[in-house]
Amino acid sequence: MAYSRQAHYIRTAFAAFALPALFSVFFSLSSSSNSQPPPRIPSNVAWTPATIKEASQGDALRGLLIAKRCEHCHGSEAFSASPDIPNLAAMDRLSLWKQMMDFASRKRNSAIMSPIAAPLSHADIADLAAYYSLMPTSADPFDKRAFPRLPIPAAQSARAAQLIVLGDAQRGLPPCQSCHGPVGFKNGAPSLSVQNEDYLFNQLRDFSTGARSNDINMPMRTVAALLTEEDRHALAAYYGSGLGQLPAGTVLAK
Amino acid sequence: MTYTSDPEPVSPKLHWWQTLLAVLILIAFALSTRYYELDAPILRVLGGNRWVDANTLHQQGEFVENNLGTAREADGSYTLRMIAQQYMFVPHCVRIPAGIPVRLRITSADNPHTLTATGLDLTVKAVPGHVTTTVLRVSEPGVFPMPCNEFCGTGHFTMISRMEVVPADQFQNLQPTDRVSCGVQ
Repeated sequence: MAYSRQAHYIRTAFAAFALPALFSVFFSLSSSSNSQPPPRIPSNVAWTPATIKEASQGDALRGLLIAKRCEHCHGSEAFSASPDIPNLAAMDRLSLWKQMMDFASRKRNSAIMSPIAAPLSHADIADLAAYYSLMPTSADPFDKRAFPRLPIPAAQSARAAQLIVLGDAQRGLPPCQSCHGPVGFKNGAPSLSVQNEDYLFNQLRDFSTGARSNDINMPMRTVAALLTEEDRHALAAYYGSGLGQLPAGTVLAK
Repeated sequence: MTYTSDPEPVSPKLHWWQTLLAVLILIAFALSTRYYELDAPILRVLGGNRWVDANTLHQQGEFVENNLGTAREADGSYTLRMIAQQYMFVPHCVRIPAGIPVRLRITSADNPHTLTATGLDLTVKAVPGHVTTTVLRVSEPGVFPMPCNEFCGTGHFTMISRMEVVPADQFQNLQPTDRVSCGVQ
């Protein structure tokens, strides 16, 4: 034998894997010449498997202790007394994680929430997300909460139900429920079924003007800009009235 | 009954030219996958990266949100960049000049979609992690709905974007923001 069998295997393996790898690295480096403006990054969160794991492995009991400082505004039962402050009961974990991270990095700028979120560690935020995702949404007449706000006009409920269940193909508007549940889910899309009316309307308005711009790849900015003012009012009123908890497309009788 | 000694074991040794042949074949595979694109002759001239990370499109690379839409490259050519995602194409509404070749680069942020322009001979697949590239030239101005042509989930049936083809001289005079999109930017 001119050379040992081990050496032969090593050389063959090198030829099989290392050489093509070297070639592809060379070609990918040689063909990257693209002049583009400085990137505008909507969020520092990216839904990589590691991030999803980190965000969904919180300790709900520890979250309960941290959430004591949230109670004043978001309510002791995770339902807010003010209609323009969001309810957090049964909020999707990934959604709450992303919003807190964006508040901390000021990708979603808020004079109130950014200083609160900034000192929290990743583990704290995951614990909070775990706690709020487990909070029940059952009715409690003794809790001071703004939700639900009834009644809403029947015509408004019909318009909103149409958009939530079917969307509007003429305008290219996807149905709300295809990402926000219960039919479909997208990572980071919050559950809306127990959300407050004024909060929802403010968010839709801010998305449509670009005042809030922390949605990854612009789904909400695109959708909110396609909605008319009446659509935004109708959708906020529909979810804010608690109809979103009933079977999809429930409409009030005229 | 007698036992004979085992015969000499056959060594799986390769000749040097066999190893070389294997290496050449592997290199040929690597190069051929690198350059396999739609409209290969044009694209070789135009170049561009082929692989992206679908999870971090919004943070790095050419698909960050302010680089989407029709952009004029350094060499004067036009490139239209789009992202397909559940359940919309971003930008939702794009503008391109008429009569001028525009390179379309599209990728997906979640699962496979297909961009089809009604009335035009355009069907491109958008796959996560991969940039699909083609060159389109629309001779006449007009508005073309561009639905998704591949079932992508519950919102698939409303996943329709729009392409506005404007006269080339008019396109030159548009502000960069107007070339990008007719939605919010």
